[in-house]
Amino acid sequence: MAARGSSFLSQRRLASIGRYLLLGFFLLFVLAPIYWMFNTSIKPSSDYLAIPPVWFPDEPTLVHYEAALFTYRGLQGIINSLIVSLSATALSALLGTLMAYSLARFNTGGQHLSFWVLSQRFLPPVGIVLPVFLIYRNLGIHDTHFGLIMAYTVFTLPVSVWMMFAYFRQMPKSMEEAALVDGWTRWQAFWRVAVPLAAPAIVAAAVFAFIACWTEFFFALVLTGRTAFTLPTVFRSFIGFQGAQYGEAAALAIVSLGPSIVLGVLAQKHLVRGLTLGAVRG
Amino acid sequence: MAEVNIQRLEKHYGAFHAVRGIDLEIPDGEFTVLVGPSGCGKSTLLRTIAGLEEASGGSISINGKVVNDDRPRDRDVAMVFQDYALYPHMTVANNIGFGLKARKMPKAEIEKRVGEAAQMLGIVPLLERFPRQLSGGQRQRVAIGRAIVRNPSIFLFDEPLSNLDAQLRDEMRGEIKRLHQDIATTMIYVTHDQIEAMTLADRIVLMRDGLIEQQGAPLDLFERPATTFVAGFLGSPKMSFLPGRLGARDGQVGVAVGEHFMPLPQGRAPDTVKGEKSVLLGLRPEHISRAQGEAPTPGSVRYDALIDLVQPTGSRSYATFRLGREPVVAELQAHDVSRAGQKLALDINMNRASIFDAETGRAI
Amino acid sequence: MAEVFRITPMEAAGAPPRLSSLAAWSERHFKWLLVAPAVLLILALSIYPLVFSLVVSFINYDFQVPGHDFVGLRNFERVIADPVARRSLVITAFLSGTSVIIEFGLGLLVALAMVKSFRGRGLVMSILIVPLFISPVIVGQAWTLMLQRPFGPTNYVLSQILGQEVTISWLTQAPWLYISLILADVWQWTPFMFVILLAGLTAIPNNLYEAAELDGVGAWDAFRWITLPHLMPMILLALTFRLLDAIRMFDTIFIMTGGGPGTQTYTATYYLYTIGFAQFNLSQATAGSWLFLIFTALVVILLVRRLLKVEPV
Repeated sequence: MAARGSSFLSQRRLASIGRYLLLGFFLLFVLAPIYWMFNTSIKPSSDYLAIPPVWFPDEPTLVHYEAALFTYRGLQGIINSLIVSLSATALSALLGTLMAYSLARFNTGGQHLSFWVLSQRFLPPVGIVLPVFLIYRNLGIHDTHFGLIMAYTVFTLPVSVWMMFAYFRQMPKSMEEAALVDGWTRWQAFWRVAVPLAAPAIVAAAVFAFIACWTEFFFALVLTGRTAFTLPTVFRSFIGFQGAQYGEAAALAIVSLGPSIVLGVLAQKHLVRGLTLGAVRG
Repeated sequence: MAEVNIQRLEKHYGAFHAVRGIDLEIPDGEFTVLVGPSGCGKSTLLRTIAGLEEASGGSISINGKVVNDDRPRDRDVAMVFQDYALYPHMTVANNIGFGLKARKMPKAEIEKRVGEAAQMLGIVPLLERFPRQLSGGQRQRVAIGRAIVRNPSIFLFDEPLSNLDAQLRDEMRGEIKRLHQDIATTMIYVTHDQIEAMTLADRIVLMRDGLIEQQGAPLDLFERPATTFVAGFLGSPKMSFLPGRLGARDGQVGVAVGEHFMPLPQGRAPDTVKGEKSVLLGLRPEHISRAQGEAPTPGSVRYDALIDLVQPTGSRSYATFRLGREPVVAELQAHDVSRAGQKLALDINMNRASIFDAETGRAI
Repeated sequence: MAEVFRITPMEAAGAPPRLSSLAAWSERHFKWLLVAPAVLLILALSIYPLVFSLVVSFINYDFQVPGHDFVGLRNFERVIADPVARRSLVITAFLSGTSVIIEFGLGLLVALAMVKSFRGRGLVMSILIVPLFISPVIVGQAWTLMLQRPFGPTNYVLSQILGQEVTISWLTQAPWLYISLILADVWQWTPFMFVILLAGLTAIPNNLYEAAELDGVGAWDAFRWITLPHLMPMILLALTFRLLDAIRMFDTIFIMTGGGPGTQTYTATYYLYTIGFAQFNLSQATAGSWLFLIFTALVVILLVRRLLKVEPV
């Protein structure tokens, strides 16, 4: 019995060593590119081709940040990205909450309407972006904040709607009914009771909408040009010039990582719902 | 102050027929309890009165005015929900005053009323708290406070006690009863608990499958159930049902259960008996007692029972025995019965027995 | 709570003020007014463009030239006949399929490793999900920095480990460039699998494992007969969602290989983008995107509909 017990224990210990090894390697895998990017962003250009590679520069520099933000108009990209992402996020959260409430409480349009909205999430963007580009050109809103805001609102709506839909579904409706009996209208019960109660979920949905807009590239690439270009599209400028712009690219990347990672990690409790459009509660 | 008049009310949810043509009159000031098993349509009926569900057919009138198309806000009703439905993001004071705010009442007036209501309910120290900081009993008082500040014409209760533990439930039941004694407003109360129904109601409306099975004063329903369903629903332990044959033997009308013929006293027996009829004899536990003296009291039948199960509750003990092939429960004094296997002479009071048609289940 | 209350009825507050006719109207149509803005916006910016693009795909569209000829199915025929188009579909299927399978395997392993709690688990969790919040463009940029010769450290590290000189052109030479693209995708999206699978694993009641252990069931059998069946709905959901995103792969390619060398790393989206915006052959691009759309729609209808029945929302 004693022998069996100890071999069982050592088997457990082996399993747990394997577990930590796996996690260790994976952590390394996740962190390595980010670290290297950071390292690149503060490394003087003269260190680029050193062998062995410079793992941490002796004389860190911020010149790449300066160049990325000003020479390559990274700052303008950040400003545009903020304008577009914040506006689209607000719109998406608002419209998404309105629609989700209707779907969850009144089963509006039956299954068809909710499935139709969901299916928007899975449309290949390339199928939408080509005609939208043509329409925007005709309307004269190509390369405007407004155009991209509208596109991003539609682009993030399915997730907002479905996340909020799942939330309203599991939220008891008796509080809203109490408000109706108390003498309020449906609109008032919605704004004064349902929305405050759903606030955490609305914030979570908004966070994911913001991250989606902040990191989006394809729509911005096609629908903007020299004026309304967003942060991710600035990276176009760094392609093809062998080597010279590594530092600038890395610096801009590091700058743009901040907001979305901070928000994402803060909202991580809701991450599963965000990734699965509310299908899994997490 | 309001009376409610419901005519041929119907409610469908898709293919499900929740309420199937109900007629009901609720006089002003009465405490009416809608009771029945889950899925019987009692909550749907209540919610339709509140205006939270739309009637599929028929009409609901309050004080003679048809309100089918009125929104809940226009019906001047108040409702206490199963989970109390307090607004979690508002203080107790704001919870109570929320209905007055909807009426655009001046702030000072709202504060005054909320203060008075809190005073009466003894919850003044809780006014600035949030619902999550309250106990179950306190929540119920807030929910009641939300209603009494408006003094609505009808109070609606949707199983308000079902989330509480047994002891608190007894206490809160008393509070609701006292509330009705104090303000004498029309109250409609939904529950699946027959004890709540018996203790609270001026009138019980017993529902089953979307229809009213029987309505009347609690004791009327208890003592003169119209159907086996009503008889079985009210009372605990349940009434025992014995299949038998109703007929005359030696010039006496009675029910034969197996080989036992149990004569019915004058007045309890139907006037005319033609031949024999299959019936169910309904005996309540409290109508069976330990035999006293040589002969049974008039109207009773003596039976030598072999007890096969004893369940003491302290003051009383429930003894199960067989009459013919069916088990029957008797409620005896705790010391009258000691153990299973005991032989005991019992008197069955046939004056109180119920007799139902075996086919239709209706009382004879 | 024991003290007895006495209620003296207050003055009846009555019903609230009547609604104005506009308020009553909006109250009556409440549920439709709630959905209207979102539905209109989707109609305007998704459905109308789709219809418009269908029109464009049947004509000969050019910005410069006013007036367009109806050309029937010619644009569709051109796409279907284009070997690059067909190849891009294969590349799409290959890259997305391989990435998703690797992400699933790796994600499941990490999820299994993360299921039991340990010191620092919260921090590890926060780090592991970081790639999900990074723009694919930046992911492409980061891996370019890692792999690009001679700048990136990858070849150097491999040389040290293997003890011999490694000089792989990760971004310009087959098959390495496919591996690089898959690597970037795996880096970004393994957390997606991991997070969903971990949620599924956590939801399996622990007493099942306890009962199995009492019955003397081994670890592998417990995994096979308890974990897998319970996890199956989540696995299907994660695979479907991921696959539907993976087949749009564009951003990393745009940054890392630019579709090249030649057209070797053209995915469907990249191909259509090039046809439309580099060659300005918009009609052919819309025709192609409609074909791709139908292809995707079939997958959506087959997979997502079934999934949502498995997993009641």
